[in-house]
Amino acid sequence: MESYNYDKWGEAIPSQAGYTAERSVTGNELGAGALNSPSDIFYDENDCLFYIADTGNNRIIAVDSDFTHAVRIYDSFTLSDGSRTVLKSPTGVFASDYIYIADNENLRILVADKEGDVINEITKPDSVIYDSNKTFMPQKVIADKAGNIYAVMNNITTGSAVFAPDGSFTGFYGADSAAGIADITGGYIADMFVSDEKRARRSRNIPTGITNFDIDGDFIFTCTSSREDAVKKLNSAGNNIFSGKKLIFGDYTPMYDISQNRLMSSEIIDIDISEEGYINCLDRTAGRIFQYDKECSLLFISGGTGRQTGSFQQVSAIESADGNIYITDSMKNNVTIFAETDFGAVVHEAVKLYNDGYYEEALEPFQEVLKLDGGYRYAYKGVASALLRKGDYKNSMKYAELADDRNIYSKAFEGYRREFVRLNGGFIFSVLALLMLAVLFFRKFRRKRK
Amino acid sequence: MNNLNQLGWLKYAVTHISDGFEDMRYRKSGSLKIAWTIIFLLFFSRIVQERLYGFQFRSSYDKTFSIIPYIASSFVIFFAWVIGNNAVSTFLDGEGSFKNIFIYSSYALVPYIAQSLINTLLSHFLIKDELVFMQALRITGIIWSAVLLFSAIKAVHRYTFMRTVASILLTIMAMFIMLFLLILFMALIQQMYLFISSLYTEISYRVRS
Repeated sequence: MESYNYDKWGEAIPSQAGYTAERSVTGNELGAGALNSPSDIFYDENDCLFYIADTGNNRIIAVDSDFTHAVRIYDSFTLSDGSRTVLKSPTGVFASDYIYIADNENLRILVADKEGDVINEITKPDSVIYDSNKTFMPQKVIADKAGNIYAVMNNITTGSAVFAPDGSFTGFYGADSAAGIADITGGYIADMFVSDEKRARRSRNIPTGITNFDIDGDFIFTCTSSREDAVKKLNSAGNNIFSGKKLIFGDYTPMYDISQNRLMSSEIIDIDISEEGYINCLDRTAGRIFQYDKECSLLFISGGTGRQTGSFQQVSAIESADGNIYITDSMKNNVTIFAETDFGAVVHEAVKLYNDGYYEEALEPFQEVLKLDGGYRYAYKGVASALLRKGDYKNSMKYAELADDRNIYSKAFEGYRREFVRLNGGFIFSVLALLMLAVLFFRKFRRKRK
Repeated sequence: MNNLNQLGWLKYAVTHISDGFEDMRYRKSGSLKIAWTIIFLLFFSRIVQERLYGFQFRSSYDKTFSIIPYIASSFVIFFAWVIGNNAVSTFLDGEGSFKNIFIYSSYALVPYIAQSLINTLLSHFLIKDELVFMQALRITGIIWSAVLLFSAIKAVHRYTFMRTVASILLTIMAMFIMLFLLILFMALIQQMYLFISSLYTEISYRVRS
């Protein structure tokens, strides 16, 4: 796959690959039989196991951390009264102390321990907040440290449903804000003048629902298929940390695909936060992985559509573990493992130092990055920051300009100007004073002559 | 006032906001040469402001350079203003000739041009925190030019206050109509060009074979 990145004008340019597809694994290779449209993958750090939601086969597969064999296959669970229950197209899986399964077509969330005994079964809540007309179809599920369960529903746009550890419904969380009040009133006025067909075609004023999420410490990251606020970082109060930053996730502009003759605008369907805090976004339309750092600066773009290993037909879920990225494809029915390249390792080292505030220490790895890829914009920013900290203002300005970072440039320029005035200030001011005297003298002289 | 040369008149008109242009009309002063120079300076300042600004305030897309937007935002807009005003003045009983509208309007633009040139220079000495000085200068320049333009129209046509307001509003409308027609005309020309060029290719293929 041809890998690319964006330059300072937001135009796609060729770049070094940060990740390369190491291998792809099918269900047979794992010893679990062929997968059938897997739609979720989750890595549990405590027992070092991957959990794959094998939706079409109605089962959950636990795979070891090297991805060589299936450790356990969950296709039925024991209820508290001793009877067995089977899954029906499970679309989401999450594991910590328990396994949480979004059992989509059975209209329930199943909480089971790792032996396969059901702890809790959450069905449609009997609450005034929950619209009773809507069926309960959990799509994805996660749980926080306290055991609260968050579920994304197929048909609910008011955020994810939250359940207390005992399974009782507590409310909704992280609703996507609808269009602003001005847009809504403007739309209402416009509606009075347009035909019914046009009205039906207009985008609706209700927000788009969350399509997926991931949890990282106290923050929940959500993604939606809408273009604005595609990725949100929500704190415990449900406020978006990224709001107002005008961040773009996915491709800057829709890319034209020659082989399929269509424009592909990014649609992020899954998000994953790696252990180092990198944000991995999975774009369904182009089958690409976009990796961002904590501050949402683009690091790498990998993947693509196609048949060979490393490209996808229908991506469904992303997960990261030990620096690798795992992607499930629901049409190729396999899991692809991406490993960091040497270039990716250097960038990650530099970015980690940079984000932790060790600007000067990050100088060397960033220079190494520039040696490998002279178009890598983030590295110019890193070098400019490091040089600014070191007091090399002139070169810092040069790199800040290459990185198109006006804030760093302004700071470096302030230092440069201070140094310049200190060195040449006396000379400049004396020349100015002399000039002023000369002008005054000349005027007086001319007036006298008149 | 009697012994002012043409440059002196420019200075006088710009610094005497309310009656500078009145006096100019009375003395039948104003130079076409200076007016053209000012318009070229306007064109020049548009480019300078876009291309030579200090990087801490503005970065320009320097992969390509197209001169068309700069011509459009200086010459085209200015002449649309002059032609529009001249057209409007015929049914608002204005006295000004085309030449005088051109000269007086261009004189009124001097503070605006000076502002953008000085700001461009300053942008190489100031940092982001000191942006407020440049903004103050910019706002001063724009307001000064707007007031001058108002008084220029008032003086050149010998209008009352209300009539000047009406004239300016109608001129802006006229400018829009002209630009609209211009775009239509250009689209038409393009269609014609395409038609003729495809006709030519068709015929040349037939002739060759």
